Amino acid sequence: MVIARNLEAMLQASSIAFLPKEKLNDFVGLLTEEFLLYGPVQKKTEFVFEKIENAAQLALDYHTTLLPPKKVLHQPFETLFSFSEGEGAVDDVSHVEEKQLLFGVHPCDVHAISILDEVYSHEYEDPYYMAKRRGTLVVALNCSTPGDDCFCSSLGTGPDLKDGYDLLLTDLGDNYLVETGSKAGQELVEMARLYSAPRVTLVEKEKRLSDARKKFKKRMITDGLHDLLEENFRHPVWEELMKKCLACGSCTMVCPTCFCYNVVDKIDLGLRSGKRQREWDSCMLLEYAQVAMGHNFRKDRDARIKQRLYHKLAYYEPQFGTLGCVGCGRCIHTCVKKIDITEIIGRIRGE
Amino acid sequence: MHNPFKPQQAKIVDMKRETADTTTYTFEFLDEEVKENFCFTPGQFNMLTIFGIGEAPISISSDPAKSKYFQHTIRHVGNVTNAMVKLKVGDKLGIRGAYGTGWNINLLKNKNVLIVAGGIGLAPLRPVILQLAGQRGEFDRVEILYGARTPGEMLFTDEYQTWRSKGLDVLPTVDNVPDTEEWKHSVGVVTGLFDEMQSMPENTVVLTCGPEVMMQFVVKDLLERHFQPHQIYVSLERRMNCGVKKCGKCQIGPKFVCKDGPVFAYAELLTLPESVLGGVGK
Repeated sequence: MVIARNLEAMLQASSIAFLPKEKLNDFVGLLTEEFLLYGPVQKKTEFVFEKIENAAQLALDYHTTLLPPKKVLHQPFETLFSFSEGEGAVDDVSHVEEKQLLFGVHPCDVHAISILDEVYSHEYEDPYYMAKRRGTLVVALNCSTPGDDCFCSSLGTGPDLKDGYDLLLTDLGDNYLVETGSKAGQELVEMARLYSAPRVTLVEKEKRLSDARKKFKKRMITDGLHDLLEENFRHPVWEELMKKCLACGSCTMVCPTCFCYNVVDKIDLGLRSGKRQREWDSCMLLEYAQVAMGHNFRKDRDARIKQRLYHKLAYYEPQFGTLGCVGCGRCIHTCVKKIDITEIIGRIRGE
Repeated sequence: MHNPFKPQQAKIVDMKRETADTTTYTFEFLDEEVKENFCFTPGQFNMLTIFGIGEAPISISSDPAKSKYFQHTIRHVGNVTNAMVKLKVGDKLGIRGAYGTGWNINLLKNKNVLIVAGGIGLAPLRPVILQLAGQRGEFDRVEILYGARTPGEMLFTDEYQTWRSKGLDVLPTVDNVPDTEEWKHSVGVVTGLFDEMQSMPENTVVLTCGPEVMMQFVVKDLLERHFQPHQIYVSLERRMNCGVKKCGKCQIGPKFVCKDGPVFAYAELLTLPESVLGGVGK
C-alpha cells in the first residue's frame, strides 16, 4: 500500500528527462558557459569537490568526498571586510552573488546545505553565505553505491533525495534520469534540450535505490535520540572516548553541518590597514571555549567530545528544527582513532 | 544586504580610570543616524573592535536612558582590552551591537531586588542599578552586595553615596586589605555578606554577575537559603566571535549565550545537560 502510494506520488512529480551518458560532456560544457562549476574529482584513492572545466574531470561514481561541498559556500578562510587606519571597516566584499553550480552532490550533502541555509538565515542573515548561496544551483546525484561509513538511510537523508535540489540525477546505466526541483532547474533542462523520459522510468529509479538501501553497513537508530542522550550525559562511554580521542578536530573539519568559526585580523606590512577574516574552528580544540585570563569552559576532553556529539544529535533540533547529522560518515572515515558516531549511539543503547 | 559583522566607527568622548587595571570609556557613534538609532537594555553587550587586534564582547555599563553617549567599563586583561590601554579621548574604534538579553526590569517591579556582584561583574549590573535608582518607587527593597579583592579594586566607589541617597542599600566587602589602604567595612568573600543582608527569599529577585567561581558559590549559598532557581538571574561569560548566532563559540546546550543570554534565569540553565556554574542544585 505504501509502495503504491509512493509510486503514485512519483508519477505526479514534475517533468523528468533523460541525459544520455554520451551527452554528459555537452551538458557539462553548456553549464560551464553559464556557471562556475564544482564537481567531484578523483585524487588518488580519495575524491574532492573542485572547479570543473569539462566532464572528463568528473568522477560521478565517487564515494564521499574528503571535504563536503560546504567549502564553496562557507569557505575555510573568508575575508569579511578590510579596514584601514582612520576609516574603520571598508570595502564590503560580502555582496557579490557568484553564479555557480555544484554538480553531482550526494543527497546527504544536499541535506547538509539545506541545514546550513537555515543556520545562516536564522534570525540574523549571514550576508557572506547567503550571497553565495543565492547564486548557487545544486545538481544532485542519487547514491547507487553507499560507502563503508555511510548511514544516511538511518537518518532519512539518503540514498535518495526529495528536495533541496535544482536538478536531481539518478544513474540508470546508459542514461541519467533528470528530475527538476526548481524553475532554474527546468530552464537548464530546456537549455540543454534534454528529451523527456517516460514516467515508467521512475520505477527503474526506485528499483536501483532500493538496491542501494540494502548495501548499507552502518546504521543509527534515531528514535528517542534526544532523550537517550539527555539521560546518558554521564555514561561510561564518554570517559573511554576521552582516553581514546586525540582532540585533533578532524571530525569537525570534514563535517558538512559544522559551522563554527574563529575571527582573526590580518594586518598588512605597513601596519595601517588589513582585513578581518573568519576561519573554520572546532569545538574539539582546547582553545575553543577559552576566554580572557585563561578560563576554559571545556578544558576536559570529554566535555568537548560530548559538545560535538550532543550538538549534532540533541541540540541542533531545538536550535534549527533538524538533526545536525546527515550520515555522510566523513567523521568516521577521517578519524585516526576510528571513533565511530554510530557505534557510540549503539553502545549507549546497549546494542 | 545589511552586514551584521561590520563595526561602526565610534569615538571616545571621555575616559575615567576606575582602578589600576580598569577604565570606563564613554563613546559616541560618528554616524549621526547610527548614534540616533542606538539603544540598549541593561545587561546587553557590544562587540568592540580594535582594527588589527580583533573584536571582543563587552557589556555596556551606563544608563540605558542616555544611549547616545554610552559607556563600557573595561578591565585590561585580553588582547583587545589590553590594546585599549593606549587609547585617548578623541580616538576611534569599531563598535556593533547591542546584543543579547538583558536584566528584565519588568520582572523586578514591586519586588525586592538583591544584586550580588564581584569585581568587574559590577559593570554589567550598573545600568540596571541606575534604572532602579531612577524609578525607585516601583521596587521594594533593593540591596547591592559587592565584593572586590582589595579596596583599591572596587569600581564606581564615588557613586555609592548617590545610590544610597536614592534608597538602595550598598554592602561592600573585600577579600583583603593591604597595609597601605584603609577599610571600614566587611572583609571576606561576597557570600559572607549573606549573613548581614536584609533580603529574604520571599518576593525577591536576585541578579548576579562576577567571576565564574563567585557566581557558583552565590547560587549555591542562595539555594541553601531557600531562594529558588527561577528567582536567580546570572550573566554568563563565554567566548564570542560574532554576537549573532553564527560563530557557534558561545553555545551551551541548544542555547546561544550571545542571543539567548548572556542573562539567564538559573532555572533555565538547570535544564541543560552540560553543567553551568558547576551544576549546583542539579
